Amino acid sequence: METIIPKTSTVLAALLKADFTTQWRNRRSVVLVLLVPVIIIISWKPLAGLAGGTFVLSNGIGIGLTALGLMGYSNSIARDRDKGIFQRLRVAPLPSWAIMASRLLVQLLMMVLITTVVFVIGHTTDGITLTPAGYVLTYFTAFIGGAVYLCLGQVIVGLIKNPETVNSTSRLVYIAFIMSGMFGAIVGIKNGGSGDLVHQIAEIIQWSPYGTVNKILAAGMLPGGWNMDANYALLATIGYTLVFAVIGIKNFKWDTK
Amino acid sequence: MDSILKVSGLSVQYGSFMAVKDVSFDVRAGEIFGLLGPNGAGKTSTLSAVEGLIKFSAGTVVVDGFDTKQKPRYARAAMGVQLQSTSFQPELKVSEILELYAGIYGVSLTEEKLKAILSEIKLEESGAKRFGQLSGGQQQRVSLFISTIHNPRLVLLDEPTTGLDPQARRQLWERIEAIREKGHAVLLTTHSMEEAESVCDRIAIIDHGRVLVVDTPQALIEKHKNDPEVIAVSRRGKVTLEDVFIALTGKAVRA
Repeated sequence: METIIPKTSTVLAALLKADFTTQWRNRRSVVLVLLVPVIIIISWKPLAGLAGGTFVLSNGIGIGLTALGLMGYSNSIARDRDKGIFQRLRVAPLPSWAIMASRLLVQLLMMVLITTVVFVIGHTTDGITLTPAGYVLTYFTAFIGGAVYLCLGQVIVGLIKNPETVNSTSRLVYIAFIMSGMFGAIVGIKNGGSGDLVHQIAEIIQWSPYGTVNKILAAGMLPGGWNMDANYALLATIGYTLVFAVIGIKNFKWDTK
Repeated sequence: MDSILKVSGLSVQYGSFMAVKDVSFDVRAGEIFGLLGPNGAGKTSTLSAVEGLIKFSAGTVVVDGFDTKQKPRYARAAMGVQLQSTSFQPELKVSEILELYAGIYGVSLTEEKLKAILSEIKLEESGAKRFGQLSGGQQQRVSLFISTIHNPRLVLLDEPTTGLDPQARRQLWERIEAIREKGHAVLLTTHSMEEAESVCDRIAIIDHGRVLVVDTPQALIEKHKNDPEVIAVSRRGKVTLEDVFIALTGKAVRA
């Protein structure tokens, strides 16, 4: 009997098909991930005129990416780990990276979906349109921004084994990100004119992962206005991604025992 | 008879705790080998080391000639595994799970072949059902079939009949015996002495991480039937494998 090692491309294709099917069957969670950005864009209609269309769109995409990484990704990994799905795959003759690569490709598609939905809703409700270069660059910045939240989700499943605790922790972090993001956004609209402490907090938020992601998303929508501030935000975003990735991968265990 | 699995001097350590100590045994072609032991004896750690799920601190594991440390993917390709829990995505349909694992093991699966498989595992009507909707016995049948989907030389089964009713258990035994008839080597762990006596050609009793004995169930009973410890724990006047097991591993209940 000959021992056959399947081609990595065949293995990856099989994993992708299964992971996309699983994601499709979990449409309800996809809808939940999309719901908050849609609500934000519709309810922030008055802000589009005040702070600009890019402000509304970047916040919508940012919140969608936060939900995707913190709640969608981390919870699905925690659940599958708890059920032993990863262990079953790991005893097969496939490289471990292929298991995660397939999962991440599904998340990449989700990022495209979130960004596209935000664009469509932004256009239909607020009449916001970008240049073709703006659309393309926003997709790229969404991938980079989405990577931060996926890696943050990885940190949560790396440090916490119990799926219920992962669920509650990711929700808490999500709410904290949204609340601080809203605060930073509101202070930003008021141009930081209030007290020193408020201004300082808003400054910190703007350089937090949430703030830097929103900054590069907004800058990507207007490529002509990309400046040094956006460059620093991009570097900070990549830095956050690397730090979260190292912590998340280093601490990750394939099983819960 | 050639050995399909050869475990030599295997030791597994978790921090300062030695879960498996210098364990050696082999499993031959066309043989069902049972690994028996109380809870925490080291069965699953031994099996996990063979499967490549945990790193072992000493020893070698060779599957069909492939050292699991030097050629892990070849060793994994030569073995089929059924884990303790039936670990498949509950959202996927039975046919989709079969397609997934056929792809992972590099097996081509046509529509006809898929139908034939579903018929073989008596799930013709359930191909379109989601895995999570199947009964425990049906899930075990799918899981057992997937462990042999690529025709491996070695099949590892971790407590395959746990939680099954007598009918489903008997049916699974027949399937395990059919795997043996095809010339595969089977290594299974079990808590059921009845199972060990009924289906295993040889067994190893393991406790506190060490192999205490390796022999056929009948030979073990014969060898120990006059031991005072065995007679003392015997309940029905006739010495069974369970009596030998209890005498060797002690009466104390393990956590």
